Amino acid sequence: MIKKILQSFKVAKAGDWFIIILFFALIIISMKLLWNLPQGQYLEIYKNNEILATYSLNQQITKTISGAKGETKITINNGKVRFSSAPCAKKYCIHQGWINKASQIIICIPNKISISILGSNKNYDSINY
Amino acid sequence: MTLSTINISNRDHQIAKLSAIAVALSLIEFFFPSPIPGVKPGIANIIILYTIFKFDLRMGIWVSIIRVFVTSIILGSFLSPTFFLSLSGALFSLLSLIIFKNLSPKFFSLISFSLIASLAHIIGQFIIVRLWIIPHDGIFYLLPIFILSAFIFGLVNALVTNKLLQLNPKK
Repeated sequence: MIKKILQSFKVAKAGDWFIIILFFALIIISMKLLWNLPQGQYLEIYKNNEILATYSLNQQITKTISGAKGETKITINNGKVRFSSAPCAKKYCIHQGWINKASQIIICIPNKISISILGSNKNYDSINY
Repeated sequence: MTLSTINISNRDHQIAKLSAIAVALSLIEFFFPSPIPGVKPGIANIIILYTIFKFDLRMGIWVSIIRVFVTSIILGSFLSPTFFLSLSGALFSLLSLIIFKNLSPKFFSLISFSLIASLAHIIGQFIIVRLWIIPHDGIFYLLPIFILSAFIFGLVNALVTNKLLQLNPKK
């Protein structure tokens, strides 16, 4: 099977290999350029879609916020942040784990609490849109 | 009253047959769920590549445009965003093939043409998405995935087309 696939590559000529390498370079460059989000600096906590508080990410602290269903705990740990406890049924917000890059978000719909990380300048995300 | 007759040439028959196969492949692809939303192999492009290499570019353009229109009418997406995505992808691919058609066949086989066209397809679709459907820079985050899939499927389609051409050599 693998041999057959390799054999079918025999039609490739010099120019084809050139194009393949060019394409590969394009993939790597696009990943580097487009997936390189800056590190976040600030954390915004939203409750009912309204901004509740802003914290610096450079600290070690756990905040407790009461939402629509109960109390949510949000843990900041030196540059990264996560939901550490939530009253919702499926715990999707907790399973998102740590986030640390600018414009990343975690949303807990049942408890109507969401967090969003800001860089030094504000990147747009789908909430703004 | 003058009676107008339509002369259907052999070439027209060929275009109709190849378009029918391309439409059938598009429909088959539509009914298979894609693991990543938005990423599709584009197996109908095998037929278009085949047409271009076995016959000529003009015929490939016919088959490609007919495929886009007929598939969208059958699926009921004619003039919807899906249709315009598909159309712009097809037009950009064809445009790239017209631009690069003079590449020497000594150094470039259909693998190059397939890869160039698949990249142009993604660019064409992305322009429509960015300008009209989701006018937001956040979608650029997805671009590397689409470029990667264009690479993989462009390559696979080229190899399949090559096999088809070997089975049906040019007369």
